Amino acid sequence: MSRYRRRRLVNRAMEVLATAAALAAVAVLAIVVMSVARRGAGALSWDFFTKPQALFGQPGGGIANALVGTALLVLLATAIALPVGVLTAIYLTEFAPRRLAVPIQVVIDVLAGLPTIVIGIFVYALLVIGHTQSGYAGAFALAVIMLPLIARATQEVLLLVPATLREASLALGVRRWRTVVGVILPSSVGGILTGTVLAVARAAGETAPLLFTSSIFANTVQTDVTKALPNIPVLIFTYSEQPDPALHEQAWAAALVLMAFVLLASLSAKGLLARSRRKLAR
Amino acid sequence: MRTTFQEELDLLEATLQEEGQLVLRALRGAINALEQRDEELADEVIAFDDDVDQHYVRIEEGIQLLLARQTPVASDLRLVLAILHTNLHLERMADYCVTIAKLTKLVPEVDPGPRFVEGFEEMGSRCEEMIRVALDSFGNRDLAGAESLVDLDELIDRANRRVVERILELGGDPAMREYGLRMVVVSRALERIGDHAVDIGEQTAYLLTAEFREFTDASHPTPREA
Amino acid sequence: MTESFTIAPVIDVAQAREEAHPSKREAVFDIHDLTVSYGRLTAISGVDFQIFRKVITAIIGPSGCGKSTFIRCLNRMNDLVPGTRIEGQILYQGSDLYASGIDPVEVRRRIGMVFQKANPFPKSIYDNVAWGPRVLGMRKDLDERVEKALRSAALWDEVKDRLKKNALSLSGGQQQRLCIARAIAVEPEVLLLDEPASALDPIATSAIEDLMHQLKHEYTLVIVTHNMQQAARVADLTAFFSLEVDEERRSGVLVEYDATSKIFTNPSDKRTEDYVTGRFG
Repeated sequence: MSRYRRRRLVNRAMEVLATAAALAAVAVLAIVVMSVARRGAGALSWDFFTKPQALFGQPGGGIANALVGTALLVLLATAIALPVGVLTAIYLTEFAPRRLAVPIQVVIDVLAGLPTIVIGIFVYALLVIGHTQSGYAGAFALAVIMLPLIARATQEVLLLVPATLREASLALGVRRWRTVVGVILPSSVGGILTGTVLAVARAAGETAPLLFTSSIFANTVQTDVTKALPNIPVLIFTYSEQPDPALHEQAWAAALVLMAFVLLASLSAKGLLARSRRKLAR
Repeated sequence: MRTTFQEELDLLEATLQEEGQLVLRALRGAINALEQRDEELADEVIAFDDDVDQHYVRIEEGIQLLLARQTPVASDLRLVLAILHTNLHLERMADYCVTIAKLTKLVPEVDPGPRFVEGFEEMGSRCEEMIRVALDSFGNRDLAGAESLVDLDELIDRANRRVVERILELGGDPAMREYGLRMVVVSRALERIGDHAVDIGEQTAYLLTAEFREFTDASHPTPREA
Repeated sequence: MTESFTIAPVIDVAQAREEAHPSKREAVFDIHDLTVSYGRLTAISGVDFQIFRKVITAIIGPSGCGKSTFIRCLNRMNDLVPGTRIEGQILYQGSDLYASGIDPVEVRRRIGMVFQKANPFPKSIYDNVAWGPRVLGMRKDLDERVEKALRSAALWDEVKDRLKKNALSLSGGQQQRLCIARAIAVEPEVLLLDEPASALDPIATSAIEDLMHQLKHEYTLVIVTHNMQQAARVADLTAFFSLEVDEERRSGVLVEYDATSKIFTNPSDKRTEDYVTGRFG
């Protein structure tokens, strides 16, 4: 076979392989979505979303309390992680001297890779032992997970802001901090929001930390953050260990809801990023 | 755009026109001094040359600065070069006026008669007319006007020849002979002033056509009648 | 008939140049033996210089001769580069610019800067000009302030109907004029321009040059340019910097500083002559 023909064949083969791999990845997601949907769709109903968990042994019920609880936990976690994450990123990119910036960067990277169960145990030891489980503890654990994600995303957009903009502002006689707030942050909002949304999507589904900090809860809608809050990941876990097949179906449905939420969050994050890019470049 | 440049260019040309007006005054003064045999007037004309020289130097410096700082091209460049040459011609004309005044001072006591005076008045007026036409056609960018200077110059050449004939008729005594000699030079000076006016016309033509061209050439006389 | 032959000249070609001559103006900057180094590299050494009020001073020279380094010392922008060492003295209106009690932020308000590539904020045209004054506490009559700055930058007529539009929608030349408006909105006394037109096309460049002629009535301007002809067209005084190589050290030095007309018709130093005639880059 001539060299030319062989090259062409190799090229074609690689194309085919690459396409097949991409299709396989898509297929995996499709299979997951489809199996979850198949098993859980039956439990979806209006009641499912609006009624709290049924009492033990009773039929029906829904995941309203878990929805509310997850929402509260995530909100609280974001309230903690967002300002800390953004400020950390600002410190790293704008103010930190070289020798401090590098170690702090390393710490953040390690934090991002920390297994969530470790975080869960840590928060358990810190906030739960000696007291009780609480929404605070759960939110704190989630915040620790979200923090490096938000910080890294913020850092990336801050670094994207051209140095000339900083120069221009400083040359006007504007102080460093005012430059950050007035020029650099506004340009970065899109990226920060994107990072936050993605972090939220991640946190909403973390099970391990909540097992330690907010897993013993009642069947009713709770809003008291000093006590354990019901949440979806733990609900899926506990239902899956029950013998009742109706509860299994509800667990699948809850998983479906979680997946839908992650999908929605990812899409909106992409949309936000595209919008902010357009604003900067126009 | 480039308002400073345009202003400097306009300034330069205005100074040139001003110098032209000075030359006209010098010429009129020189002719009058000659006709009236007025030594005082002749002295004033000689002193007046300093004013012309001042303008001359100022324009030279201005051109140097303009070329160095503004790097003019195309029509701007041609204008600057035309101003440069015209400046030289005007300065030479003024020098010839001084020559006429000095010669007037040398022979004040001789009265050659009215015909003579008429001759010089005629030549002087033609010169004035030529200078005016040269300056106006430069300022108005008038090619036809510039080219008309050739015909006007022809008239001066004829007048020059007539004056020379009259000088030859003077004949006789040493005073008259000396007078005649001096007047030949004066006539020649006036004829040269006319030539320089034609040269200015050539600069106008260069400015408008970008061609270096002499209207007539001494070595190739036009087939016109004397 | 005798008339007065002396006509008072209506116009004087060389007169305007005289007014800019050093001896006639007061010095705004007084620079003594300035040496700037980054780490082990010496950027400029031993510079003695004076910059005069309401005059356009141009700094020309080959690349790497320290022109930008020099100009950035004048508003302490070099402070932002780690490892910069400054020796010598820079007096601004009599006070030492680098004295310990001096606030560099205040320095930068009074000595503004326009950069090589236009860098407007990603805000509206109005906000670009208004943000600085707002942040620095000049909040009164903000609208008038913005209009005045835009007029001074010869941009008002082009943007007055679209002040709320994003500044990045303007052309390159307009953006640069916007940056000039932004700089003068905070009422500086001096304007430093670091190659302001090098990224612009000839027409936009010409607009900036005409603008500078107008601005010099109100501000002292210092411009760094690698385009000699621009310095010739625009500047009253020109300083030529060049590279001096001795043993292992390469640094920029001030070679000649004089009226622009002199630099471009009859420079005193052979190195200046070689540079402006293009015989040596």
